[in-house]
Amino acid sequence: MKKLTYIISCHPKQREGSVCTNIHANRFFVTPFLRMTRGMLFLLILILGCLPLQAKEYTVKEIPMVHLQDRTRYVSNPDGILSPSAVAEMDKILYELEQKTGIQTLVVAVTGIEGGDCFDFAYRLGKEMGVGQKERDNGLVILLSTDERCIQFATGYGLEGVLPDAICKRIQNRYMVEHLGKDDWDAGMIAGIRAVNGYLDGSMENIGGEEEGDDTALIIFLVLFLGGIVGIIALVVIFGNRCPKCKKRHALHRISSQVISRKFGVITSEVTYICKYCGHRVTMKEQSSDPNFRGPRNGGPTIFMGGGGFGRGGGGFSGGSFGGGSFGGGGAGSRF
Amino acid sequence: MKKSTIILIAVIAIAAIWGISAYNGLVKMDESVNTAWSNVENQYQRRADLIPNLVNTVKGYAAHEKETLEAVLAARSKATQMTIDPENLTPEKLQEYQKAQGEIGAALGRLLAITEAYPDLKANQNFMELQAQLEGTENRISVERRNFNEVARTYNTSIRTFPKAIIAGMCGFEKRPYFEAEEGANKAPEVKF
Repeated sequence: MKKLTYIISCHPKQREGSVCTNIHANRFFVTPFLRMTRGMLFLLILILGCLPLQAKEYTVKEIPMVHLQDRTRYVSNPDGILSPSAVAEMDKILYELEQKTGIQTLVVAVTGIEGGDCFDFAYRLGKEMGVGQKERDNGLVILLSTDERCIQFATGYGLEGVLPDAICKRIQNRYMVEHLGKDDWDAGMIAGIRAVNGYLDGSMENIGGEEEGDDTALIIFLVLFLGGIVGIIALVVIFGNRCPKCKKRHALHRISSQVISRKFGVITSEVTYICKYCGHRVTMKEQSSDPNFRGPRNGGPTIFMGGGGFGRGGGGFSGGSFGGGSFGGGGAGSRF
Repeated sequence: MKKSTIILIAVIAIAAIWGISAYNGLVKMDESVNTAWSNVENQYQRRADLIPNLVNTVKGYAAHEKETLEAVLAARSKATQMTIDPENLTPEKLQEYQKAQGEIGAALGRLLAITEAYPDLKANQNFMELQAQLEGTENRISVERRNFNEVARTYNTSIRTFPKAIIAGMCGFEKRPYFEAEEGANKAPEVKF
């Protein structure tokens, strides 16, 4: 077994009395080796340090669409330019904005874009991804490219009225450019998104309801509704409205009903029947759906069966979709 | 009735049905070209509408740049006189239109170039927003022009390919011209810093 003797020594130039930190093993053999690795390490750090600076130039198709995987997310940040907390904050603002107004936003922060034309890139992102609801064209694309040093808004046809180019420019000038110029991406973007939200919040109502979740809810509703009708008919046919005393069929007449509770869209009422043959009175509890009830987030009436319900889209991690809005070149851009 | 007569009638009926649907398809496409054209004209009009405001704002700071300001207004009044009915959009007319609009573009480019010498003007909120609107309008123009070319190309392809070419020839559907990228004239006025 080869035995290596390590000695703790100081660099010859190190002053006396100072704490020695270098560990040298066999000065005549190992030190040149250490020097070499140190040089290589330096080189490696240099290379690694340069890599993130070498911007990737994205094409429109290469931008990851996080909203399609998770409908609560709107900010595509493939190069990690923005901090996770900033992304979360923007997502939260934009999710609320979409819930309230139906306006769909796509925020993209990248190091570089192919072609270098910020307007064209943002416009094509919106057009090709179909950001915004189809009927209302209320999509908004916000693009930040650090290599081009540009911030660009692209508004869908339907947003050109509520968010005109001049306002886009004003938001950029007032809230974004200063921070972005100092490479403070988080602050600039959050301030910009907040300002945009301030302009758009309340500008329109969310009437679209084009999300996939609504379709499935509607289908489930229809299935349950039709199933319920079929079941009731079957029950009536089988049991009829038989009088429990004289056992004659089709004997009961409804004489009165009283609502005892309205909960979660279900009306429970107490209905009194009288038998037309023997005059026997029966009181039953009946449940029916409340046509005036509106679900907490759902637009239409909902029937709750067995206590279970279906909200819009279900869980928070289901994929979203863009509605297919069109863009006509609205928006503004700034350089910083 | 003889068997051959029935076959003949059936063939004629099928041909007629095909002909009608092909004709309707062409009419629809023709209309979409017209719509695309009016969208282009709208955006040019929008730019023309911005000009008086822009000129007035610049005048407030740089009144002695009279020549440049007047050139913009002259180009504008010349171009706005020209409207083209999309039904008789010929290559010559389109070129003429493009030239007139190109002159506005060039004049605006010169106007924006001289504003560089006036820092007060450049810092003016109104001017900044007009500039943003102008930029947005130039973007819209290029989007609508591209869109027009695409729609016109689809239409031209279908009136020239067999078998729709027969219907197009009989009913007088004509080829539509395209916008062509002109040397500098129709480019967005570039703002240099």
